[in-house]
Amino acid sequence: MTMRSPFKISRRLSDRPLHLPRLSPYVPAPDDPAIFWFNSEREDIVREVAERVAEAHSGGREAMELALNDAAYHEIRRLEQQGGAEAAEQLPYWRGLSRRIARMTDEEKRNALGDLTGRLAGDVAGNFDPRVYNMAKHLVPRLLAGVMQPSSLPAELLPKRGSEGSVIDRLLRIEGDTQALGALEKTGTLVYVPTHSSNLDSIVLGRALEVAGLSPVIYGAGKNLFTNPIISFFMHNLGAYRVDRRVRARLYKEVLKVYSQVMIERGYHSLFFPGGTRSRSNLIESHLKLGLAGSAVNAFSNNRVHGVMRDVYFVPTTINYELVLEAETLVEDWLQAAGQARYIIDDDEFSRVERWVAFFRKVVSLEAPCVIRFGDPIDCFGNSVDAQGRSIGPAGSPIDPGTYVLRRGKPVLDPARDVSYTRDLGEVLVRRYRQETVVMATAIVAHVLYRRLVARTLGMDLFARLRLRGEVALGRDEVIREVGTLRDRLVELQRQGHVRVYEDLVDAEPEAIVERALTVWSGYHTKVAAKDLGAEITAEDPTLLLYYQNRLVPFALELCDERDAPAAREIATIGRYL
Amino acid sequence: MSLPPVAVVGAGGFGQAIAHAAARRGRDVVLWSRSERNFDEPRIRRTASLAGLADSEVAFIAVPSPFVADLAEELAPHLDGRHYLVHVSRGLIGEKLMPISRILRERTPAHRVGALAGPLVADALRNGSPSGAIVGTRFPEVADAVREAIGSPALRIYDTPDVVGVEVASAMVGLLALTAGYAQAMEVNGPTLAVFLTRALAEAARIAPTLGADPQTLFGLAGMGDLMAVLAGDDRPEVRLGRALASGASLAVAGERTGAHIEGVAIAHRLADHAERMSLKAPITRAIVGVLEGCPAQEALAALMAREVGSE
Repeated sequence: MTMRSPFKISRRLSDRPLHLPRLSPYVPAPDDPAIFWFNSEREDIVREVAERVAEAHSGGREAMELALNDAAYHEIRRLEQQGGAEAAEQLPYWRGLSRRIARMTDEEKRNALGDLTGRLAGDVAGNFDPRVYNMAKHLVPRLLAGVMQPSSLPAELLPKRGSEGSVIDRLLRIEGDTQALGALEKTGTLVYVPTHSSNLDSIVLGRALEVAGLSPVIYGAGKNLFTNPIISFFMHNLGAYRVDRRVRARLYKEVLKVYSQVMIERGYHSLFFPGGTRSRSNLIESHLKLGLAGSAVNAFSNNRVHGVMRDVYFVPTTINYELVLEAETLVEDWLQAAGQARYIIDDDEFSRVERWVAFFRKVVSLEAPCVIRFGDPIDCFGNSVDAQGRSIGPAGSPIDPGTYVLRRGKPVLDPARDVSYTRDLGEVLVRRYRQETVVMATAIVAHVLYRRLVARTLGMDLFARLRLRGEVALGRDEVIREVGTLRDRLVELQRQGHVRVYEDLVDAEPEAIVERALTVWSGYHTKVAAKDLGAEITAEDPTLLLYYQNRLVPFALELCDERDAPAAREIATIGRYL
Repeated sequence: MSLPPVAVVGAGGFGQAIAHAAARRGRDVVLWSRSERNFDEPRIRRTASLAGLADSEVAFIAVPSPFVADLAEELAPHLDGRHYLVHVSRGLIGEKLMPISRILRERTPAHRVGALAGPLVADALRNGSPSGAIVGTRFPEVADAVREAIGSPALRIYDTPDVVGVEVASAMVGLLALTAGYAQAMEVNGPTLAVFLTRALAEAARIAPTLGADPQTLFGLAGMGDLMAVLAGDDRPEVRLGRALASGASLAVAGERTGAHIEGVAIAHRLADHAERMSLKAPITRAIVGVLEGCPAQEALAALMAREVGSE
């Protein structure tokens, strides 16, 4: 018996997105967010993006030839290696283009460039269907809740008036001044820049925005996300634009950046993950890929040069899980070949429905929370922004962000300058991520156990250490004492504004924190992170402990006492070399 | 269109020299100084109010590094995003050796910042003798503004985006200049000094990446170029301080005698501690700290020479 491959179905869905039939056009209400107007502007946006990118390469014959050859070369190479239906369909176009480039007149090259950028921009541009948005808004949390707790499904689908919110909303904790963000989205364009731990991030963040009464956002979704048919359907209809990381052509990368820039210029609130990909190590991101952040800075400059005074506000956001769906795959990938990790993972827990079900059931049965923390917004130049949307300088007085793009009194475009601003902004984001990280019980307990493992194996090669499964045991009382001390130090760091501690942990009994972490770990991960032997607790799987404790690496030296200082110094170097 | 005035903050030897170099270029200069002394150069206008600097485009910060943070806070209300700040200090601040460019960026609204360094001494700058310098900045317009303000056929100003590299190199050369002065006074022979300084620069290059700097920058104008000027005998204050220390003067007396705030001394300790925290070998920096704390120089040198030798 042959079965239709789920992969083929997925690819079909990602290649030919499902849209709801359009019986009558949706007419947005005046106070609808910008994204509700997207479909009426889509063609215009695609045209503008294509024209800008084509124009940037139309400076002369050589520039046009280079752009076309680069695109043809990379696409032919990719498709030949990839094979399959996509290659069969597209290779003839690229080979034909490649053969013709040298013989083309300048006019033909210009047309080919325009045609190509138009195709690329059309492929990238998303779609926003308000009906799907409204459906997702009401249905998704309830369906997810049903997956988690099948017995709750009828009640979830037919909620009684005045009943509590969906179970997913009870697990989602939202922190930060969302009211201020609500006011700012009326005066400028918000660009959410969250940390990235899991493929669930865009889903939970989307839900958090909805719960907080904030507008939906546009975001670039990796093509690998479209392999999950349910996710694919929503991605295609909720303003996601498609990012195919396999495409290496320079024109394609420019189209992506310019698309993001044009959308921000036009006031579409946006989201991107500056880490570029999920943090394989669970370290708080410190090396950011700033291409899309740069597109927001460019958008601000371009608007100012054209007299558009709409501001851009970055919202540093952290997404903090007590239990991470894909932890095991991510950390293994990080460790493989000392960081030569795959950029795209398409066979992790996220792509396996049974892991989703196991994860969500675990999360619900324990009420293991996910904390979304919206940090205070900053402008494109790293300055604080007050509730009125004004940039505030270090002296506490308002400053005009437009002065940063002035040259001898006039706003000017300067790509080199904006690259530098973006890099500076990246440094501010890295600091803000640390300050806004919310430390969960699993990170605290993992840090205590892993630090002790390091203390007993000082100087040992990391991989040798990770093989010491279950060989280091600590007295239960000792673990509890150290967890209490560590939590108290974290609370002190929170008081100084260096980090956040999950609110339930601030006054919790240390023993309860230990119990909590052990319970959260057991039963979901295929490996046991730590084993409770009654009088002792063993560091059962050093790799998982490493993963969860990595959240605390930047604070390791401040969290240790004299006895643990040598171990903390070793921990503090994690990420520097790997 | 007339060019905006050039601002200089601090009227020490280097601040005055920059003011004169800019005036020689035909630029109006606003020089902030707490002293009431006036200058006979008509293009240089002294001001005691930081608000008087607001009309400038580029401001050179020429105060000793320990005072930069407080000054930046005082300056902040008078600046916005249009201003460029370029400092000439050789310091790295605090236990974490924070670059001054970062302090300026974080404590003022001016984010287009840079560091001016290299084989540039106050006398040459003031007199217009042929010389060269390097400005570290990520912003090309800042490098252009520095060239416009003080550059000339007699003063070649290169640029690099590695601003932290320039700052680390400059701080390190400050420390090595002091050491070279000390060694010269002790009549350490040329080859020994050459080995010592070359290996010290290599040591600095190992430390540099942990501070966010590109080690290659240490082998350019800001590092090697500046160190060559020291050895060619430019008689800068750091060298004089080294000599004074070698003659047995205390740090306070030697500092007073040389008439300048010497930043290398303060940084030696912190650099050695930082290297230790980063698990990096820094025997030369540690030896310099030892000598500054009273260890006999010959003994420190002998200990260094006795270390196991390996590939370069």
